[in-house]
Amino acid sequence: MKAWITTFLLMSLCVSVAEAYPEFQRYSKKVSGRAVNCAMCHKNSDGPEGIKPGQIGSLNDEELKALGVARQAFNPGNHARNPVLNDFGNAILNQLGKKKLMVIRRYPERLAPALSKASDLDGDGIPDAEEFLDGTHPLNPLNGHPWKLFKHNLAKNRFHLVMIILATGLGMYGLQNMLLFLMVRARKEED
Amino acid sequence: MSEQKSRFGQIMNFFAERFPLQKFSFQHMVNEKVVPVHRMSWAYYMGGLTLLFFMIQLVTGICLLFYYQPTVSDAYASVEHITYFVKNGFLIRNLHAWASSCMILSLMVHMITTFAMKAFGRPREITWISGALLLLLTFGFGFTGYLLPWHQIAVNATKVVLQSIEEAGRYLPGALSTIPTYIKEIIQGEPSVGQATLSRFYALHVVILPLLLIGVVGIHLLMVQLHGMSQGVDQPAKKSEKFFPFFILKDFWLWGGVFLLVFVLALCVPFESFSAYPLFEAFDPMGSTPEGIKPEWYFYFVYYPLEILPFWVVMLGMTVAGIGIFFVPWIFKNTSRKVLSIIAWIATAYLVGITLFGHVIYEIVKGTNT
Repeated sequence: MKAWITTFLLMSLCVSVAEAYPEFQRYSKKVSGRAVNCAMCHKNSDGPEGIKPGQIGSLNDEELKALGVARQAFNPGNHARNPVLNDFGNAILNQLGKKKLMVIRRYPERLAPALSKASDLDGDGIPDAEEFLDGTHPLNPLNGHPWKLFKHNLAKNRFHLVMIILATGLGMYGLQNMLLFLMVRARKEED
Repeated sequence: MSEQKSRFGQIMNFFAERFPLQKFSFQHMVNEKVVPVHRMSWAYYMGGLTLLFFMIQLVTGICLLFYYQPTVSDAYASVEHITYFVKNGFLIRNLHAWASSCMILSLMVHMITTFAMKAFGRPREITWISGALLLLLTFGFGFTGYLLPWHQIAVNATKVVLQSIEEAGRYLPGALSTIPTYIKEIIQGEPSVGQATLSRFYALHVVILPLLLIGVVGIHLLMVQLHGMSQGVDQPAKKSEKFFPFFILKDFWLWGGVFLLVFVLALCVPFESFSAYPLFEAFDPMGSTPEGIKPEWYFYFVYYPLEILPFWVVMLGMTVAGIGIFFVPWIFKNTSRKVLSIIAWIATAYLVGITLFGHVIYEIVKGTNT
């Protein structure tokens, strides 16, 4: 019995634990000054381990198989879909490959330059690599550096803005004339 | 008997002066009303701006009501639905968020300038008291509305505030010490912040507070029109302009310009972008609490002192200030405008300083570097 328990414990220790990369999380927080959590790259904000949705304990057989494939995606350009990672996490894995990721894990400042400048998964006008440095969520179009979002959205909504300026201006002009008319009529009535 | 009669007469005179029924006519309140023109004239527009923001809140709030679900299971999802799936839902929601902050900002500027200009003096005491009530109601709107999206910061910040209310009981003597706990239980509705709390906050936010606010705004505007604009400065203004149509026309143009500004902000800058994203994840009672839980910026003037100073000092200060604000017309009855301006500047410096640099001050005082 003792031998069985010892073997089981030894085997448990040998099994590789789920690999989150808190180095990147810490770096993003350090350079941005914003609080960041695991949800930047993982499906669940509490990370990959556990039984909540998006965590390893909740995966079905098919997803576990996909997890196994993703863990062997050593080279860039792989199309692995890690079920515990979100789209940004998988984009990092696909662009860099696990081998490179393991290396730059020790130098988290190298992650942003290594990512594609063209990739903007949430379409908010801020590349994912910049969002990583800003400590904002690369998959949430409402979360980004306020000034960068302002510039992007201002350019995107130019037509709407011109229309609202015209509508407000014309409305005010009409109101002005109506008030002046009412004043003149009141004076006439007084006379 | 005669003494009683004279006291009754005094009370009647007091109200007759504050509610001059003979002036209750369109002719007096609109056609004959004039607005003094001087270096502080810009302050006369602040009340109107606050009203504009309230109207934006009312319209956008009604739009949000069509989709929002006030249940702990669906509140977050319904807000997400409004933001991402309802046509222009994001714009409406963001307008609501931006206009709420603008409303509180303009209300505070309005209150401070009114104080500095001594516009609360006889016979405008009721105008001031109704204004102070409006300030409290607006803070009530901010507090109750904050919980409704049911995300991490909403629920956790509400918990912190409710705990602070309960904590106040520790500093009260005897039977009084149980009152804050009762207040907390009444607000919360159940042992922890949950469905009962959300239902109560929702009812307050969308029915009770708007009705109260509309009523008090009505009284406030009636008083402003009955008594006209206060002189505002020591030397009587050399120039004045007619309220109708010239002042009101300028007011409307200002409304147009400010509305455009808020619209551009709402269209281009999500209000949530100023805070860390983990704060806006769905509230998970079993999950970890994200760091950075804070109330909205307009509560920083209480929040940071609570973090830095002993609890009883802040509570005592805020209670005195909270009650004192209603007695301003009598406390500062004989104070000159110069002294009032100095007090107003000090209050402004405190509010701006603690709002912008509260976190830095907190770090310096606590010796941390988070």
